[in-house]
Amino acid sequence: MSTAVTIALPGDVIPPSALPKPQKQNKPLTLGPGLRHIPPSTITSTIAGALTTDSKKNAAWVEYNSGRFLPAVGDLVIATVNNSAGEGFNCFITPNTPFATLPQLAFEGATRKTRPQLAANSLVYARVTNAGKESSPEITCVDPSTGKSEGLGPLKGGMVFKISLGMARRLLAGKKGGVTVLEGLSEKVGFEVAIGRNGVLWVDGGKVKATLAIGRAVQEVDEKALGETGQKKVVEKVLRNL
Amino acid sequence: MAPGAILSHLHRADGSATYTHNGYSIIGAVNGPVEVLRRDEMPEEATVEVNIRPAFGVGGPKERHLESLLHSTLRSIILTRSIPRTLVQITLQVSSLPEEEASTRVNSSLTLLPHLLHTSLLALLSASIPLSTTLTSALIAVPAHKSDPKLAVPLLSPTAANLLRAAPIQSTHVFAFSGDRRLLLNESEGAFSYEEWEEACEMAEESCCKEGGGGVDIGEGMEVDGQQGNLEAWLREVVRRKVGEEQRWRVAT
Repeated sequence: MSTAVTIALPGDVIPPSALPKPQKQNKPLTLGPGLRHIPPSTITSTIAGALTTDSKKNAAWVEYNSGRFLPAVGDLVIATVNNSAGEGFNCFITPNTPFATLPQLAFEGATRKTRPQLAANSLVYARVTNAGKESSPEITCVDPSTGKSEGLGPLKGGMVFKISLGMARRLLAGKKGGVTVLEGLSEKVGFEVAIGRNGVLWVDGGKVKATLAIGRAVQEVDEKALGETGQKKVVEKVLRNL
Repeated sequence: MAPGAILSHLHRADGSATYTHNGYSIIGAVNGPVEVLRRDEMPEEATVEVNIRPAFGVGGPKERHLESLLHSTLRSIILTRSIPRTLVQITLQVSSLPEEEASTRVNSSLTLLPHLLHTSLLALLSASIPLSTTLTSALIAVPAHKSDPKLAVPLLSPTAANLLRAAPIQSTHVFAFSGDRRLLLNESEGAFSYEEWEEACEMAEESCCKEGGGGVDIGEGMEVDGQQGNLEAWLREVVRRKVGEEQRWRVAT
C-alpha cells in the first residue's frame, strides 16, 4: 500500500491541512459520506476508511467498501418490485429495509391510462430522487426534466449478481474505476449490463451460459481485486469456454 | 500480546469481526441499518439491539446483564440520530474461553466484558455504521497483598492463568475509554479504596489511549508488538489493514 493513504477512524478530527485547497476562493467545501461537520469548524470522520480528497471539486469523503448500501440522491440502483400499492410500486433497494416507492407514472410515456404492469419480484433500473432520513426513499425511472427514460426502466430477462459496493462504484466510475473486464468481453460477445449502486449487477447475454460467464467474471474480478493483467486473463478464460 | 482481529469474514451479515485475545475468541456480526419492529421504533433515533450468546448453553441473567452494559455503552458512540427509525442489530457469539476461566474465582462477566466491547466495535467498523468515536477497553485486577495492601501491584489485562497465579484477587475493574480519552464505562467489583481505583483507572487509560489528543496520523502504521501494545495503536493497525484490503485493486496488476 502506498503511504499516501490517510486512514480515518470514527471520531478523528480531520486537520485543515488534510482537506483540499480550493482553487477558486468562493467554492464551498463539499463533505461526502463518512464526514461530519460540527459547527463552527470541526470536521470529524464517522466511519473507518481512507480519507479521499478531490481538489478540483473541493470535496472530501471517506472511502470504504463494507456495510450496507445507504441510498443517496442521484444514485442508480437496481430495485426489486415487491407489490403495487395505489399510485406506486413498493420496491426493495436492499433487503430488510423500508420500501422505496416508485410512482407508477415515473416511467417513460406512462399516463393514467397506460401505466406499466410490474409483477412482484420484477426488476427496475431506477434513480434515487429522495433519500432523506425523515421519509422512506423514493426512486424514479424517468428524467424529470426531459421525460425520457435515459436507459432506466424495467429490466427484462437476464440475471442479477451480487457485487461489493466498492465494485459497483468502480464500474460506474468508468475509466477511474480501472475495470476493463466488461470492455474486454464485449469485443467478442454481445451483452447488456446494468449496474446498481446497491451492489447489484444485472447481465443479459442472450444465452444463459453467456450471462453466467459474464456475471461470474465480474464477481471474480471483484473478489480477487484483479488489476489490468489479471482481468485480461479472466477475459481470455471466459472467451475460451464460450 | 496484541489481540487478533479478522474483519468482514461473514458474507451474509453487513459487518462482522472475529476477535481473539488471551484465549478468548468471540465472533461478532452487525446488521444495520435495517427495518425496525414497530413497537421498538423511535422517531428520531436508531434502535440498538445487542444479543450475546455464551460459549455453551443458552443465555441467562449474566448475558442479559452484559447485554444491557454493552447496549448503553454502544448507544453512546453510535450516531443514532443520523439513522433514525432503523435498527442496528449486534450479535456476539462467544466461541471459546480459556481453560482456566472457571477456576479463577473472578466474576466471569467482568473478564469477558472488554473482549465483548472490542468485538462489537470491530463489527460496527466493518458494517460502516456511523460512530461518533472509537472505544477501547481494559481489565485491571488488583491482587490481595498479605502484609501491606498498598504494595499490591495491579495486573493489566491479565490472562486467566495470570489471575489463577495471583489469587486471591482483591478487586477487579473494567474501564472503557472513547477515542478522545473520555471514560465511557466502569464496572468494578471487590473491596478497594478510592486511591486504588484511581491508580487502576490511570493504568487502564494509559494502555487504552494514545499519547496526546486525537487527529489523523498520516502514513505508516505504528509498531504493536510490545509487551503490552497500546490498544489505540492496535485499532489503527486493524483499520489500516482493512483499508489496505479494500484498496488493493488500485495497486494490483
